[in-house]
Amino acid sequence: MTHVLEARDLVKTYDVDGVGTPALRGVSLTIDQGEFVAVMGPSGCGKSTLLNLLAGFDRPTGGEVWLDGERIDGWSEARLARMRRGKVGFVFQFFNLVPTLTVGENVELPLRLVGRRRAAARRVCGELLGDLGLPGKRDTAPYLLSGGEQQRVALARALANDPAIVLADEPTGNLDSSAAREVLVLLRRARDRGQTLFVVTHDARVAAAADRVLSMRDGMLVDEADLEVGVGRLPGSGGQR
Amino acid sequence: MILVLARLAFAGIRTRLLASALTIAIAAAVVSSLVIAVEIRATGVTPWQRTFDAAHGAHVLANTPTAADARAIAARPGVTERTEPTPIASTQIELDSGDTVDVFVAGLEGHPSVNAPVSTDGTSPRDDGIVLERSLAEALNIGVGTTINLAGTNGPTPLHVVGTAISPAQPRYPRSNPGLAWLTRDTLQRIQPSPGQWSWTVALRLRDPATAPAFADRAVADFPPQTVTVDSWQAQRDTALQDAQPVTVILTAFTLLLMIVAAAVVSILVGARTSTQHREIGLLKATGMTPRQVSLVFVIESATLGLVASVIGFAVGAAAAPQVATASAATLLSPPQTAISPWHLLLAVVAVVPVLAISAYLSSRRAARFGVLQAIHSGEPKPAPRARLSRAIARLAPSLPVQVGLTDLLARRRRAIWLAAAITVTGAVLVFTLSVQAALNARPAGEISDVPTELPVLIYTLDAVLLVMTLTALVAVALLSVRERIRDFGILKAIGLTPRDSGASLVAAHTALAIAPALISIPLGVALYLGIYAAAAGDTDGVDIAPWWWLASVPIALPLLVAAATSLPARAASHVRVAQAIRYE
Repeated sequence: MTHVLEARDLVKTYDVDGVGTPALRGVSLTIDQGEFVAVMGPSGCGKSTLLNLLAGFDRPTGGEVWLDGERIDGWSEARLARMRRGKVGFVFQFFNLVPTLTVGENVELPLRLVGRRRAAARRVCGELLGDLGLPGKRDTAPYLLSGGEQQRVALARALANDPAIVLADEPTGNLDSSAAREVLVLLRRARDRGQTLFVVTHDARVAAAADRVLSMRDGMLVDEADLEVGVGRLPGSGGQR
Repeated sequence: MILVLARLAFAGIRTRLLASALTIAIAAAVVSSLVIAVEIRATGVTPWQRTFDAAHGAHVLANTPTAADARAIAARPGVTERTEPTPIASTQIELDSGDTVDVFVAGLEGHPSVNAPVSTDGTSPRDDGIVLERSLAEALNIGVGTTINLAGTNGPTPLHVVGTAISPAQPRYPRSNPGLAWLTRDTLQRIQPSPGQWSWTVALRLRDPATAPAFADRAVADFPPQTVTVDSWQAQRDTALQDAQPVTVILTAFTLLLMIVAAAVVSILVGARTSTQHREIGLLKATGMTPRQVSLVFVIESATLGLVASVIGFAVGAAAAPQVATASAATLLSPPQTAISPWHLLLAVVAVVPVLAISAYLSSRRAARFGVLQAIHSGEPKPAPRARLSRAIARLAPSLPVQVGLTDLLARRRRAIWLAAAITVTGAVLVFTLSVQAALNARPAGEISDVPTELPVLIYTLDAVLLVMTLTALVAVALLSVRERIRDFGILKAIGLTPRDSGASLVAAHTALAIAPALISIPLGVALYLGIYAAAAGDTDGVDIAPWWWLASVPIALPLLVAAATSLPARAASHVRVAQAIRYE
């Protein structure tokens, strides 16, 4: 099976008041096409930092990030942005919809960025909002929606271009249990369509839905559970196992 | 409570030094312009009085068709000193270029006891010699020692220029055209032998100088209309200092325009502050502060900055006023001098501080009325519902980054309106300046202009000040916009906008916003020019407006300038890192 996403000995150190503070201390992992991987761990253990590095939002202090067989950690910001347009969808904990755009415009954004015509983007957006139970919300301002609805819009935006990989940072972290369930159903649906999911979460229900759960502590991967076969698949050996 | 509010206001000033400095700079420019407008005439009063004293000036100066009429006026009660009537003839100076310049020549018999020409160079008139009024000599570039030809009944008469002089009763040439020169009575008779072609002037001193206007009115009433003119010393002073009038009109207009820009800048800055401090304001309200008190903090802050700006602007204006009034110096014994009046400082404070305070109040009033919980939770205000017009405009955008940028800019409706207003005013002033230049260019070659040299310089300076202010404000607003939208830029980059797209969205949105105001500024600028021209000249007959291709450059140049100004903040937008921006949540 192809590794769609791979981290090799990733290190990230933040400079806090002139003092180097390690956030990741040599993380290596591989994620295969169509996998649903959840990462769990206490606050401040480096989960979101890992996610940001895999998405190309930040640059590692050391190590490599590979996506679809290409090493991306040295790419320019512009190249990374163009790569994300078609290949990566991202879901944030706090939804992060653009507040001055309507729901429809938020969802159409990635479609327009890959060059879809306005009419085509509107059609796809309408279908997605219908699928996600948000018909008739196209012209609504994001702040008028509930948290669950906003997160579904954020999911629609992340899935609009049918990306190969969906990265999500605590997608249910700011939702009540009913809204969290809805989001989980949508994530599963994406996995069933063959999309690769890498989700940082505190939510045991999200982790339970994953194919694999990675545990992090103090900037390192410390455990892995393959929920289907129970075999760890972290590459290499040593501290990460 | 007021102390608490004042403390919060001063904390706001200290923590936002750039915005505070910008507010002070713009408000100080308004005050300087206003102070120059109200002081420019006053800077010439003392030098004129000195000239009047040196000339033993006439409280009343009468011009009559006959010597008998002049003597009749001089015999009126209240006169304590008088000169013998002096004949005046109209003639022409023939220049080396072949051109001729009209001039009045006064035939003196000895040194007049009242209203004597005050020598500035050379000697008094003597046979075959002529003394030119100084501004006339300067305009024609004729120095003492040269020989000129004066047109006479018997042909050109060569005369030596033996001196230059000034008179408190003679305004600057060529604003007062024909100019004035002094000869001996004998020389005058050689130029114009026929006394029937002479007019007469008589200079009088009164027992009570304050009664001069009434004396003049009564004296004129004794003669058929339009036959004699009688000027009081007050009228002579007003005429002599009239060079200040167009400058005063222009500066008053510029003051009003600068005030609009200042109101726009303060409204935008305070509006942006209330937006970025949304959570902080929510916390203040949670501790018991009313919306009115929140607004009061911003009012105190803006009023304080206005007071500081008033003092700075007053000092700059008072120092600059004599420089602006330099044109008057040609007819005065000493150059214009600073004429500080505390009333002018008070006027500046009264004019500027309320504008800033009201702008701050109106801008913060709505922003202070929101739910405390919403403010504390979200940390940012809810965007206003989008108007149809803004949707339509955004749809016209040629690319997605431009559409996103325009949508965001138009979502902050008041800010967009104020920004458009500032750009419109700046464009209108550019059009005004181009029209002034066109009028100067339209003068026939070689014609001596009655426009003081300082006037175009003053207009260009004010224009540059306004342009710099508007562009600086634009940079500040765009920077604030980046700061407010740092999370949005992060999200957009996470979705796939490149750094270049992010920067372009900011630049293109502001540039697109500038297009409509730049177009509107053309008719507005023309109207401004015609209005100021009419106010300064009395009518708009023969007015020259900038040619259309000059005017067409304004809606091209302004958006380009806006693009250049916003390119700096655009770099900040393009450098926003996604991970850093997301951390803002």
